[in-house]
Amino acid sequence: MLLLLRRLSLRHARLAPGQTALLVLILALGVAVFTAVRLANRAAVLSFTHFTDTLTGSSDFIIQAPAGPLPEAVLPELRQALADLAVQIHPVVESSAAEPAGPEAPRFGRRSFTLLGVDLVAAANLAGQQQAENRFFGGADPAPGSAEPQLGPPPPTFFDLFAEEPLVWLSPAFASPLPGHLELILNDRPVRLRVAGPIPRPPEAPPAPANLIVLDLPRLQGLVGREGRIDRVEFILEPGPAIDERRAALARRLEQLALASAESGSPRWFVTTPGARRETAATMTAAFRLNLTVLSLIALLVGLYLVFQALDGAVVRRRAEIAILRSLGVDAATIRRAWLAEAALLGLAGSVLGLLLGWAGAQFAVRAVGQTVNALYFSTSVAAAHPSLGEALLGLAAGLLASLVAGWAPARAAAATPPAQVLVRSAPGAIGGPWLRSPALALGALALGLLLSRLPPLDLGGGARFPLAGHLAAFCGILGGGVLASLALPALGRALRPLAARSAPWRVALGHVARPTGRHRLAAAALVCAIGMAAGMAILVASFERSVRGWINSSLQADLYVSSLGAQSAGSDNRLSPETWRALAAHPAVARASVFTAHPLVLDGLPTTLGGGDLAAQAARGGFLWIGPPPPPEALDPARNEGLALASESFAGRFRIRRGDTLGVPTPSGPRTLRIVALYADYGNERGTLLVDRVHTTRWFADDHATSLALDLTPEADADSVRAALLEGFPGLAVFTNSGLRAEVLRIFRQTFSITYALKFIGLAVAVGGLALSLASVLLDRRDELTTLRALGFRPTEIARATALEGAALALCATATGLALSLALGWLLIHVINKQSFGWTLAFSVPVAQLATLAALVVGTGALVSHLVGRWATSLPADRQE
Amino acid sequence: MTNDMSAPLRRLLSVFCALCVFCGQSLRSSEVPLLTADGFRVPQPGREFVFPRDHGSHPDYRIEWWYLTGHLFTEEPRPRRFGFQATFFRSASPLEAAARPAPAAFGHDQIYLAHMALVDIGTGRFIYQERLNRAGWDAAASTETLDLRNGDWSLRFLDPAAERMELRGGVRAEARFTLALSPLKPRVLFGEAGYSRKGASPTAASHYITFTRLEVSGELVLGAAPPVRVGGLAWMDHEFGSSKLDEDQVGWDWLSAQLHDGREIMFYALRRRDGSIDPVSTLTWIDREGRTATAPWRWEPLTFWRSPRTGAVYPQRIRLTTTDPASGAEAVFLVEPFHAAQELLGEVGGVTYWEGACRILSADGRTELGSAYMELTGYDRPVDVVR
Repeated sequence: MLLLLRRLSLRHARLAPGQTALLVLILALGVAVFTAVRLANRAAVLSFTHFTDTLTGSSDFIIQAPAGPLPEAVLPELRQALADLAVQIHPVVESSAAEPAGPEAPRFGRRSFTLLGVDLVAAANLAGQQQAENRFFGGADPAPGSAEPQLGPPPPTFFDLFAEEPLVWLSPAFASPLPGHLELILNDRPVRLRVAGPIPRPPEAPPAPANLIVLDLPRLQGLVGREGRIDRVEFILEPGPAIDERRAALARRLEQLALASAESGSPRWFVTTPGARRETAATMTAAFRLNLTVLSLIALLVGLYLVFQALDGAVVRRRAEIAILRSLGVDAATIRRAWLAEAALLGLAGSVLGLLLGWAGAQFAVRAVGQTVNALYFSTSVAAAHPSLGEALLGLAAGLLASLVAGWAPARAAAATPPAQVLVRSAPGAIGGPWLRSPALALGALALGLLLSRLPPLDLGGGARFPLAGHLAAFCGILGGGVLASLALPALGRALRPLAARSAPWRVALGHVARPTGRHRLAAAALVCAIGMAAGMAILVASFERSVRGWINSSLQADLYVSSLGAQSAGSDNRLSPETWRALAAHPAVARASVFTAHPLVLDGLPTTLGGGDLAAQAARGGFLWIGPPPPPEALDPARNEGLALASESFAGRFRIRRGDTLGVPTPSGPRTLRIVALYADYGNERGTLLVDRVHTTRWFADDHATSLALDLTPEADADSVRAALLEGFPGLAVFTNSGLRAEVLRIFRQTFSITYALKFIGLAVAVGGLALSLASVLLDRRDELTTLRALGFRPTEIARATALEGAALALCATATGLALSLALGWLLIHVINKQSFGWTLAFSVPVAQLATLAALVVGTGALVSHLVGRWATSLPADRQE
Repeated sequence: MTNDMSAPLRRLLSVFCALCVFCGQSLRSSEVPLLTADGFRVPQPGREFVFPRDHGSHPDYRIEWWYLTGHLFTEEPRPRRFGFQATFFRSASPLEAAARPAPAAFGHDQIYLAHMALVDIGTGRFIYQERLNRAGWDAAASTETLDLRNGDWSLRFLDPAAERMELRGGVRAEARFTLALSPLKPRVLFGEAGYSRKGASPTAASHYITFTRLEVSGELVLGAAPPVRVGGLAWMDHEFGSSKLDEDQVGWDWLSAQLHDGREIMFYALRRRDGSIDPVSTLTWIDREGRTATAPWRWEPLTFWRSPRTGAVYPQRIRLTTTDPASGAEAVFLVEPFHAAQELLGEVGGVTYWEGACRILSADGRTELGSAYMELTGYDRPVDVVR
């Protein structure tokens, strides 16, 4: 069989190197896109580190208040209650910071960091730290008596930790060598910190991510103004016998303690594990990542169409050859295996190339995915997507599977060839089967899609939902659209017949379009698939952009917006101190200041936000886009609105609540019951926000810090000069003018969608490449006709023109169908897939100019590549060579 | 292992260890400065001790330790014997750092180090743990009375008048003990009424208070096994001061022996870089009433043990020759560790040393005359001198 394979397939490949290379490349692109997106997704989730793990290996349990911090007073209480369990108790404070902005306008997307405050004296007790290669203090000593010169400053001692200047430890991945000092924006001010050395890494622990900064706990408390408060406590059981029993006992004890002395029976903290925290991060982004993966499969799907095309074409062309082999005694099974092996070889070559391309592509994709995760979910630092054996095998399997599935029918057709059959060469055979000609199938698929689009999403747990039925509906739509396009080809050919009078090439081209072969139909269907998805995505993005514009137009009405320069992502917790925001509010040019404070909250085990804002001021500016009816007037009056809340749309979607529902919300001063009086649009984050008047949250959380500040200026003040004055006084602030913030929001928005643009264009490139490949197959099938045409006096340029026309007509038909399909897909993406995954209501908007450009581009490129294929075909030798 | 040591901690510990050393030379009080150059108090001769206050912490002095060693016996469920060590160290931050305000839960004026060890004499299984904490929510030392805490380990008075105390300690999750300790003899003030010199410099001194014979009773939990009642004898040192170890000293050998006849011996020898023994090295007898008397001595290691983990070679069986102050006759003892592997590697504190349960035998090795604890330092490398 190997010999047969070499004789048959390799000769074929040698004779048509361009075609084979194109096929491998198309497959490679499909595999590459799939692999790149998977690797980038993986990196984005992996980069959610439970940061303490890099110091401890892994804690057994974590306790965390459902809202706000824990008081330090719980520590001695815990020590006493757990005295018999041999457990290390490590309190943790975690915050975020960003690198200072340059002299240019403030922008989001600067490098941001997670600051981890642990008791570095007690850290010496961690078994992992004792085995680490270096230590927080001292480091490796030179051997006694050796006169090794000291390089750089001496390593810090414990007592240096207590000196005036705060010390920080950085990830070795931060920079090499580490800088001596680090400038950071912490809350509302810039600070300069001395770098003590690299973060020690225990042997079993994950490496410290590049954005991790470790410092002594009380130092971090002081730097961020959180004295007396801790964010969580981690528990590590000492090694010893009966570890499972002790772990269970510890969990029980912690649960009991949470309820002990708690007011009104609501637990003071919840007990979790590092694994559960990572899982929450993974499920939070699951819908987003799955959607990307599905999108990335389109290129592979189009590739599958094309492999089928190419192999089937080869079977048809080489049928005589196969027949001779059969008559020489080669049995059908061997023939089938040989063809399948050829498909597998193609798949293998394509997949291997695709993996390389995919790995390279992942380095770009990872940034885009990371930025989106940052903007919508939590702070990550995706440095690089690392190749993984699992993903490589999956990519390989996907590529191989696609080519084997595509090669199955052609292999069967080849094996079914009777011995020494004399064939009419140009007979294209019934490629693609009768299904491409079945209006019933087209209508059935479309109807099924419509039905599927009405189904609810799949619950992934953890508040994440995946619109499986929606994606299946999209698939049905693509299938139905593809068949429709192939049905429309003869009609197009007939409709254009009047043009045939113009010249011979037109007649030849339209003749073929009016009587399309299976190959024509397949090429059209593949193009419809790509165009439909690309245009559908374009509609989604345009609708999204229009909605976001509408949202910022109504919600951004103040003259200046102020936040900490450190606030860089949905997970940032950098805030303005009461002194700072009061000073800003008291500025003579400020007519009115609205303060907003976001408090992170855990509700039903899911992270979300409780916002405290000046509701009346925001509503007076027209700052809310209500989903459904607006709230009653008392909801905006701080004197009357305690117990009332506004919910963002994503909040309502995540927690399945409706207007009028009540829900219990934990706060440091005890649980509160809130009634939802209205829903509003918020495209800012996906975690969801519950909004109440700030007078209440300030009291509930005993916290007067501000997350952001909206300033209305006096009529005579100039926003730009006030901004400059504020920045001079408060270098740690990000101050945006109204127009500056609008531009910035749109920039982030576009950045968020950059990866979908890339996927869209790769899908289109694959489809246009496929068109070229299909036409090449068609022309190879029609070699006799070409010979005849040349004998009739057709010049090569005329043959090329005929092919170009044929290709353009094909592309036109596919584009028209694809665009029609895209309207349906766009609707599906906006109202089903997006709504079910993210819970955002978007207004439908068709980017007409963009779609027209897309159509012109596809038809033009289709004509161009067809022209090239036609030129190539005329150079083929007339006699049979295969 | 030694490469992993943290130099500052080793420095810190060597300061603690240096306190072992004192000498009997007298000094007139007028010659002793009140403060060290960096502002810590210097031990003064003729100090009037006030108890129970002086059993507590003395943060004006740079360093302080409370050091318990002892032997435990149980009959449950079968006769078994254990040796234990429980040490609480305190080290003060430089005064300028300590002066900066700090949150109460995460203080920075003191660092507390603690060591716990347990050896099963029957099986030779030796386990130990070190723990380091800053002054704050998880470690503290009272300045009023004996009340020490480091994580879930503690040492405090149950009855200050009777000087009865309670030790709660353990080694990871492998052992946990709660022991009540009652003095069978009055406390001993070593040196000149608790003022003990340890070098030529007038600041080189410490205050030194010891219980040489404590009756122990309590509970021991080994792993997941049910708790057993234990009883036995223990020794407790309490020292505080502000001075440092000499440059030419590499380590020391120390012994506390509790003889069956009701007397004790405390011995230490300071080893110098050149191999000689520092002349301040001393042997002290404590009689049944708690009176002390120094005596001449000869310390002859007979066998050695090479630690497979550090490569350090420690003396093991030792012939100790001295004069019995009661009879004036020569007394020869053999000091014999129950097990060789009683080495603490200093994963946290940075100092590797050997601290083990021993017994005292007659010169011919046939009669057991008492039990002891021996400390051997500076055998893997010189104990670092404070720079």
